[in-house]
Amino acid sequence: MNHPVEILGFAREAAWLPWAVQYFFLIGISTAAFFLSLPGLVWRLPAWQGIGRRALLAALVCGLTAPVALLADLHQPGRFLNFYLHPNLGSWMAWGSFFIPLYLIGLLLYAWLCLRPQLAALAERGGQLSALYRRLAYGGHDSPGAIRAAAVVGALGALLILLYTGMEVMVVEARPLWHTPLLPLLFAVSAVSGGLGMVGLFEALIGQGAAAPLINRWQERSQWLTLGLLAAWLLLAVSGLAASPADALAAMRGSLGWLLSAAWLLGTTALTLWLARSRRDVLLWPALLALHGAWLVRWMVFMGGQNMPKMGASTHIYALSLSPDSVLGIVGMAGLCLTVYIILTSIIPWDDRAEA
Amino acid sequence: MSSHPDLSRRAFFTALPAVTAGLAVPAQAAEDSKPHWSMLVDTRRCIACQACTMACSMENASPEGEFRTVVATYAVSTQEGKTGLAVLPRLCNHCEQPPCIPVCPVGATFKREDGIVLVDGERCVGCAYCVQACPYDARFVNHHTGKADKCTFCSHRVEAGLLPACVETCVGGARIFGDVNDPQSDISQRLKAAEGKTRVLKPEAGTNPHVFYIGLDDQLSGRVDGVSAADMMWRPGHQGG
Ligand code: SF4
Ligand code: SF4
Repeated sequence: MNHPVEILGFAREAAWLPWAVQYFFLIGISTAAFFLSLPGLVWRLPAWQGIGRRALLAALVCGLTAPVALLADLHQPGRFLNFYLHPNLGSWMAWGSFFIPLYLIGLLLYAWLCLRPQLAALAERGGQLSALYRRLAYGGHDSPGAIRAAAVVGALGALLILLYTGMEVMVVEARPLWHTPLLPLLFAVSAVSGGLGMVGLFEALIGQGAAAPLINRWQERSQWLTLGLLAAWLLLAVSGLAASPADALAAMRGSLGWLLSAAWLLGTTALTLWLARSRRDVLLWPALLALHGAWLVRWMVFMGGQNMPKMGASTHIYALSLSPDSVLGIVGMAGLCLTVYIILTSIIPWDDRAEA
Repeated sequence: MSSHPDLSRRAFFTALPAVTAGLAVPAQAAEDSKPHWSMLVDTRRCIACQACTMACSMENASPEGEFRTVVATYAVSTQEGKTGLAVLPRLCNHCEQPPCIPVCPVGATFKREDGIVLVDGERCVGCAYCVQACPYDARFVNHHTGKADKCTFCSHRVEAGLLPACVETCVGGARIFGDVNDPQSDISQRLKAAEGKTRVLKPEAGTNPHVFYIGLDDQLSGRVDGVSAADMMWRPGHQGG
């Protein structure tokens, strides 16, 4: 049978803008980096101590900036208090508004407890900021018990964030690309890759690179998992075992854009895997590629998923523009991350010397 | 209960003498039950003139490029090579099980007792979660207000005893609006007459829509595996002019 030709179609534009991609990217990386900090800072495993510090920095930089992107994606950001005044607890998004502060409170408490001895040492050195350091150190004790307790709060918050960010998108039956139980897993695994990427990047910038083999070993595992999840999705879609992936694949069929994006995703994931596996001492390239992969997964899921028509044949392809919601917003968020990074690294040294 | 309008445009004209004589109430909702507003779209009568699209835009002051109702238009060819026009007037289905409601984080979107699904503009934070969850692309974030927007069955008009603007203006009498709880209403009668021949969009979504269709082409009831001519067409604002 001949396919109909849509003479007059009405495609809706994307309602979740690149802000959503940025929020999910940053909060995912923050939670993953938080978990990566635990072996070094809570269990004090020697091999992980340097990584732990860089991971804490990554968790803070991304965790403090992510909510800005989330607020920006609300079309009525001034009304965010309604999340707390009128919560609909049947909605995953409503739960998210409670999980975010829980995680951030846990993270900030944990970071402060971990940094207290160093803040006290900085105060001892004197200088203009010594009074501030002394106040922040609040005695400067190293309190492993308190750190563990704060880590539990942070870990609970981080797990709930990973859960809600995945579920919030997965439950949307109307978007076939989103409606699969593999999605929360893909978000979580790619968050870990991105987290390892950010930690690797900070390690390359601040550390001495000694942790490269350890980071790359974990990077290799998370890239294998990413490939496995992508393969599982494709299997479900091709076999028709799951309706939504099959629908999504049918919507993509014949689209050069989707073909190229999928090929690019698979190619760069394989390249990241190969680099992490065969160049254990190299930090920067696998780190940057992993960050790119975590971003790309979210871009394809959110912007690509919204391009697929629910009704009719017309798509409203999202095109980047120089508007605050688009490229300027992305550049602005990158600038905000850089600013937080500069502030944090200016007031506290995060390198290996500071550990000693 | 006060009198509610329950009439298709056709019934409205049939009752024109009564209108001129007094109130536009040719058919009353049953006294003993609350109304449940619904729409029946007879696609065989639709000529794709988009008068409803325009009337809705004027009535509800929709921003440019954002529509609460549209008439998607298709060229459909048979295997024998005959090509004809197929239409699909679309609007919010005022579903009985609306997926747009449970996702709303602040409870801003709700279903009234009379079946109409509405958005509380004071509460809406513009998160667009409901836009994602609606299987029919019936919702959008209004560029002017920053809030979720959609067809309200012109609830403000219905409350004033008027028909929705799209029904009022429909040239072919393709849109029939009324109370399905009233067995005497025109919509109930027509639904009964067309029993077994009415369809809803995406029944597999389990939303139980309250917009019914007669003459709905199965190929068009969801995502259409076809070609969009939109990109081949001249569009003011995009291509200039
Ligand atoms: S058509 Fe969409 S917006 Fe309307 S009630 Fe159903 S799910 Fe909600
Ligand atoms: S856009 Fe408004 S109505 Fe829709 S889910 Fe968000 S708060 Fe609710």
